[in-house]
Amino acid sequence: MIPIDFQYVAAQSVAEAIRQYHQFSTSDMSTRYYSGGTEIITLARLHQLTMDAVIDIKPIPAAQVCSIVEEKLFLGAALTLSQITSHPMMSRAFPLLQVAVNEIADRTARNKITLGGNLCGDIIYREAVLPLLVCDSMVRIAGPNGAKEESIHRIFRRTMQLKPGEFIVQIATDKIYRCAPFFHVKRRKMGKVGYPIVSAAAIRLQDNIHIALSGVCSFPFRSRTMEDWLNQKHLPVHQRIEEAIQIIPPELILNDYEASREYRRFVLRTVLEETLHQLGSA
Amino acid sequence: MTENCSFATDHMEACGHRATHVIGHSVGRKDTQDKVTGHAKYTDDFSDNTMLHAALLTSPHAHARILSQDTARAFAAEGVRAVITGKDYPNKTGSPLADRHVLAIDRVRYAGEPVAIVVADSLAQAEAATKLIDIQYQPLPTIQSPKLSYYSNTPLLHPNLNPYVGDSAEVNPIPGTNIATHVPIRKGNPQAMWAVCDEIVECEVSFPQAHHAAMETHVVIAEVAPNGDIDITTSSQSPYSIPSLMQATFGIHPAKVRVHTPYVGGGFGGKSSPYIEPLAVAAALKVSGRKVKLRCTREQVMTCLPGHIGLEAKVRLGATRDGQFVAAHITYWFDGGAYADRGVIVTRAATQDCTGPYRIHHVHCDGFCMYTNHPPTTAYRGFGHPEQTLVIERAIEKLADKLSINPLELRRLNAIGPGDTTPTQARLTRSSIGDVQGCLVRLKQMLDWNGTATVKEGKTVIAKGIACVWKTSSTPQDASSGAIVRVNDDSTITVLSGVVEIGQGTKTVLAQMVAELFRIDIRHVNVVLEVDTKTHPEHWKTVASRSTLLAGNAVVRAAQDAIRQLKKTASFVLQCEADDIHIAGGYAYCADAHDTRAKIPIGALAKGFTFQDGHTVGEMAIGHGSYTIEHVTKLDPTTGKGVPGPEWTVAAQGVEIEYQKDTYSYRVRRAVSVVDCGKVLHPDLALGQIKGGMNMGLSLASREGYVYDDSGAVTNPQFRVYPIHRYGDHPTYDVAFLETPDLEAPWGLRGIGEHGLIGMPAALANALSNATGMEVNQMPMTPELLWRLQTNKGDGP
Repeated sequence: MIPIDFQYVAAQSVAEAIRQYHQFSTSDMSTRYYSGGTEIITLARLHQLTMDAVIDIKPIPAAQVCSIVEEKLFLGAALTLSQITSHPMMSRAFPLLQVAVNEIADRTARNKITLGGNLCGDIIYREAVLPLLVCDSMVRIAGPNGAKEESIHRIFRRTMQLKPGEFIVQIATDKIYRCAPFFHVKRRKMGKVGYPIVSAAAIRLQDNIHIALSGVCSFPFRSRTMEDWLNQKHLPVHQRIEEAIQIIPPELILNDYEASREYRRFVLRTVLEETLHQLGSA
Repeated sequence: MTENCSFATDHMEACGHRATHVIGHSVGRKDTQDKVTGHAKYTDDFSDNTMLHAALLTSPHAHARILSQDTARAFAAEGVRAVITGKDYPNKTGSPLADRHVLAIDRVRYAGEPVAIVVADSLAQAEAATKLIDIQYQPLPTIQSPKLSYYSNTPLLHPNLNPYVGDSAEVNPIPGTNIATHVPIRKGNPQAMWAVCDEIVECEVSFPQAHHAAMETHVVIAEVAPNGDIDITTSSQSPYSIPSLMQATFGIHPAKVRVHTPYVGGGFGGKSSPYIEPLAVAAALKVSGRKVKLRCTREQVMTCLPGHIGLEAKVRLGATRDGQFVAAHITYWFDGGAYADRGVIVTRAATQDCTGPYRIHHVHCDGFCMYTNHPPTTAYRGFGHPEQTLVIERAIEKLADKLSINPLELRRLNAIGPGDTTPTQARLTRSSIGDVQGCLVRLKQMLDWNGTATVKEGKTVIAKGIACVWKTSSTPQDASSGAIVRVNDDSTITVLSGVVEIGQGTKTVLAQMVAELFRIDIRHVNVVLEVDTKTHPEHWKTVASRSTLLAGNAVVRAAQDAIRQLKKTASFVLQCEADDIHIAGGYAYCADAHDTRAKIPIGALAKGFTFQDGHTVGEMAIGHGSYTIEHVTKLDPTTGKGVPGPEWTVAAQGVEIEYQKDTYSYRVRRAVSVVDCGKVLHPDLALGQIKGGMNMGLSLASREGYVYDDSGAVTNPQFRVYPIHRYGDHPTYDVAFLETPDLEAPWGLRGIGEHGLIGMPAALANALSNATGMEVNQMPMTPELLWRLQTNKGDGP
């Protein structure tokens, strides 16, 4: 049960959402954009999140887009993970994203969780961002100051760096990345559903590995320095991996109920080995 | 098995060689229609506009002094009717030891301990107001390891243990220590026998506390009437134990307490302790005349309510060269948590059966239930036996390895049987123990057992592991059940029993028994599925795989009583001896009569029989029956000598796993159980019980368990971070039954509610030990555990 009262409005267009946000803000109401709602429900019932109003952005047509224009794939932020997984186009258009989001939560939750919601969540894993990081995706954002398109690397630094009133409308990804050879792996404490100890999304582009990781630290990341080490093909695989892992400050590696820090490091090593092996870089 | 064996005059012929027409058949469950249509009502489904709602505030600290409590802001909040803290009720509560306050006073001993209740018009108001209660704590040092708690006594969690009121037959706390109970077993003279042993092994086994994971969380609705009568609706496995607890806690006369239990959405032992009922009544007493509902969140069930007990244990087992077990020395330090609750009885149950189903003449065992700063504990499916089994079975596996004897043959060689005695020196008969050897023989065949040899395919290792299981109940000496059987005008039968329908299907089986005795179609037997303690005859508790024995015997006697009454009335009408009357197919008739018109519908005999001229003979037919367990005795406080339960159900179980050497991951491919269940009464329900238990055991063993922070607070009290088996995680299950009758039980049945679970942790540990070559003695058996064992061994990657 959500123990607070709040106002709900559904926005039919980007402009309407922005207008609503402005209206609530000027009335001093704390306001959140609402997409799948899974996190709002789970955190609000524990008194860990509160708000006076939510603006549902799901009805906005632009946020429901799934189309390819001039080799760019546009995905609306309000698409659910289930829609992305089951879309007939996705296995060719962006198979890495398809397999990565299919391992988030369980089917019932994926029917609600949206692409944009997962990217902007408080949850530390945010695994939908991994394919976008390795594919240098672009993020289309709407806000009080109009629309803009930013590189995922500029806008996602550990978390989404959105200003008040801004929300993600679409993600755009180039064919050269999304159709590149890819590999995804998710290692859990046990079983086929649950948070990752380590999850990795990777592609091979011009003989170089791009890799992004979740579960290792309290935020998902892609590290160029790490990739540089992994791509040093003149070095033995073992050494490339050890050097890559050394890049991560030890205290940043999670140590919790899912796994100890030491075991996480071991799992990370096996994940990197498998990634290099699978993408022919070993 | 013949499914549709419709009734015929000679039902024995109609069912071929079978002497039963309903017993032994998978009839439709009596609760199915309610449940699949969503019509079934659970406690939380009872709601009305006048009902108030209670919200619980619990301690964030695992051990702390309460310095101050300020409830003024909460009390002033909108909709709030009452704010209750410990000082409102200086009474102590808890069964079998009253060692806790209704709400904490001065000190909290675990993170999750209830400290305040807010009652408000709406749940949202009550929850919001809990955030306005200001409590100042001074954290105190904590103790988490039960073994450490045994050796150090610092901090001493219950310095005033002495005056706590408890049932001395059930609990044996030792003042000045953290020992909530001590159960000793002294059989033979192990000390003298170690020298005789050719081989001795030692193992240490441990696991953390865990969660029952019933779908329905605990809910109670309580109301205090103007005349002081208390009406409680609760999702409980033990409704009949609540009135006396209310007397012990609040001084309320038990006759003034009515407990109503509708359908319960799973219990697994977690609803056997009346833990939140005193809280709900404490709230209701403050708003007399109004109903108050207290519903726990999942997080509260996992941190506040009693869970599955944790353990640290040590075992020493010795044998001769040819594999005869000689002596065992076992110590259990159970992690009972901050308050004794039923954890102390679980400790006794594990201790009394500590050897497993094996013949060992010399046994020294100490079961300690230790106080720690963890949540309290209670019954969990298996009740001390999955725990006891893991300990002894790991030692047996190690011994087999040392002796180079096939572990299955070693178990068969030492299997306990008629004439042998248990650790508590109870002498066994074929009826009381069943057939352990037979279970092993069948398991060997079903599991294609060929020893501990593994099959290696690249990085994959296929391995098997087995375990033997036994369990008797730890029922009190006077555990009883009563039943009423009514005959209705339309010749149907209605059965009343105090068994709670928690999804196990017992009430369907009770209906089968009645249908069998009346020789009628099961559809003509109604069974009242909910329980009301004021109108249903008492049934001890719906726990311990005891319902089919206790309530089964009671129902059989009640049905026989009703039949006797019907025959008596019929004998007046048919002018023949009552003994010559047959009751079958809904009719009474005289055995010798060839005149089919002389068949009287039993409904016409229900209130005596009225002749056409209007005069009536006989009386209303109401069958009543009851059963009380006999011959169970208390355990001697120094030697443990005694008879803990009426009979044992035994089983042999095994698993086959597929282990990946490079990632330490594995999956269970097959799990097999052979259970001597006495008699299969309902094949589908029996299979469901065993497979369900196996699933739960494999989930517990492979992934479950609380992860505590440095102070002892549970860090994973949500299903998103507390893994349990999900659909698709389960292996193939193969189950077979042997039928060695228990002569005390209806149709020879034995309880099977828990036994599918009991051997799974041990079988999995043995399979993983075989696969990895390491000693896997801990739960949960995650890849991380296997990795750590390998790394600690020194030759890790």
